[in-house]
Amino acid sequence: MAAYRKNKIQENIITNNMKYLILGGYALSLIIFGLLTDTPEKILKGLYNILTEPDTLITDYIGVGGIGASFINSGLLTLIFLFILYKLKLNINGVSIASLFLIAGFGLFGKNLLNVWFIILGVYLYAKTQKNKFSKYIYIALFGTAMGPMVTEILFSTTLSKAISIPLGAIVGISIGFILPPLSTYLLRVHQGFNLYNIGFTAGMIGTVFVSIFKSYGFLPSPRFIWTSGNNKLLSVYLFLMFFSMILLGYYLNNRSFNKVKDITTYPGRLVADFVILEGFAPTLINMGINGFIATIYILLVKGDLNGPTIGGIFTVVGFGAFGKHPKNILPIFLGVFIGSLTKIWNINDPAILLAALFGTALAPIAGEFGWHYGVIAAFIHSSVVLNVGVLHGGLNLYNNGFAAGIVAAILVPIIEAFRKDDF
Amino acid sequence: MKHGKKRIAKIVDELVTYFFSIGATDIDINLKEEKEYYQISVKCNYSCKDQGKIDKLIKYLKCAKQEEMEEYFWELAGDSDVDTELTLVGMMTDEAEISCNDNTIEVNLIRYKI
Repeated sequence: MAAYRKNKIQENIITNNMKYLILGGYALSLIIFGLLTDTPEKILKGLYNILTEPDTLITDYIGVGGIGASFINSGLLTLIFLFILYKLKLNINGVSIASLFLIAGFGLFGKNLLNVWFIILGVYLYAKTQKNKFSKYIYIALFGTAMGPMVTEILFSTTLSKAISIPLGAIVGISIGFILPPLSTYLLRVHQGFNLYNIGFTAGMIGTVFVSIFKSYGFLPSPRFIWTSGNNKLLSVYLFLMFFSMILLGYYLNNRSFNKVKDITTYPGRLVADFVILEGFAPTLINMGINGFIATIYILLVKGDLNGPTIGGIFTVVGFGAFGKHPKNILPIFLGVFIGSLTKIWNINDPAILLAALFGTALAPIAGEFGWHYGVIAAFIHSSVVLNVGVLHGGLNLYNNGFAAGIVAAILVPIIEAFRKDDF
Repeated sequence: MKHGKKRIAKIVDELVTYFFSIGATDIDINLKEEKEYYQISVKCNYSCKDQGKIDKLIKYLKCAKQEEMEEYFWELAGDSDVDTELTLVGMMTDEAEISCNDNTIEVNLIRYKI
């Protein structure tokens, strides 16, 4: 009889410190790119604008503060959160990478050095009231910063006096963080892990309730639409260099091979599919780079704009390349949104549809588990649902696609399962 | 920790669901609460000839304990019968011993209370 015992936490020769250094390097590259593209005066002014304006969907920080300021905001936020993970002595795994790239991506359109801390503080207070370590809830806190715009919408409200808006904004942000851990865990069951952006689904539900209450008191979130174009050349050079370096570095760390990269594509990708734990850091890095190329090329092929929101979407696809997404399960999603554009009333390169394709990859596990055709159907439905749910939370949940994907998965998965042939 | 005992039930649920999926028809479960830990022992037969499924069971259960993953995702354990959440079971347990031969699998898991 063969017997096996449990692993120790460390994985082969790539130490945890090395992973921190690599992720820190990518965060630093955002800051360096920002410094190279704008003057210091413009960057400071841009950062001031980013911190002092509401962030309701869709607020492209490149339009608010310029490329330099938005990339520095993104890089600094990522470095700060990386440092927090380091201080909490956490091992870098797939979920850490996904959450950090999400921070980096949304650091270009909605999360900034001011609005994230209230949510984090709320989660911290929840951990303390439960007499638990904050580190246990850190990923909920990181993902939960999606509700940052709720804070700034109130803080910078033009209809409320500062004496009311500042404490009210802080209280609302802390309250959301406080209720997020039990809700996010509970709501996983609704979509059974087939929506990778579970916090987006949770934040959508919370946002719906909060905005309903706001509206009852006559407070309406102001819609925004700031979307930049014309920077595709510059931004694509940066992105391609980043993704190429991931593949190269992954190849080098993987003993100069692409071993196990194909194995990653055998996983359906449903939560919890942590590729760093399952297949190792190096093949995961290669998978992330490949995902980045696919997502960026898709945007360029459909003649879309590379800007804060779309790069946010691309970084999300890259980050979740460590936690559920791989070429085999994301390509059907892009195809589904593309087919939708042929039959529906919108164009494939409309801003909301570009984001639906990128963030719709939250539904990649449906393609991974049930087959590519179901992935196409899920994306086809998602691209309609996502256009219709933003109004519920007034654009204050940055992961609007996660909210829509949760609804689509909750509706679609039980139906697919009911008609599956291979039951046991 | 909230729902401590429910989490143990979820681990058992996930294991039983997986063993059904590999054709188990005779499953013995022994669940013991000691002062400092819970011990979950499951022994079953299996008919699945796909060695890959057995290899996966071993690989997933050998995952190191990760409290931060458990705290967020534990509700998913045992929740789906189309896919496995055994990695999560690995992340929720401190010690795992898996023994198998051509007909039988035996899994012993320890989960400390603190």
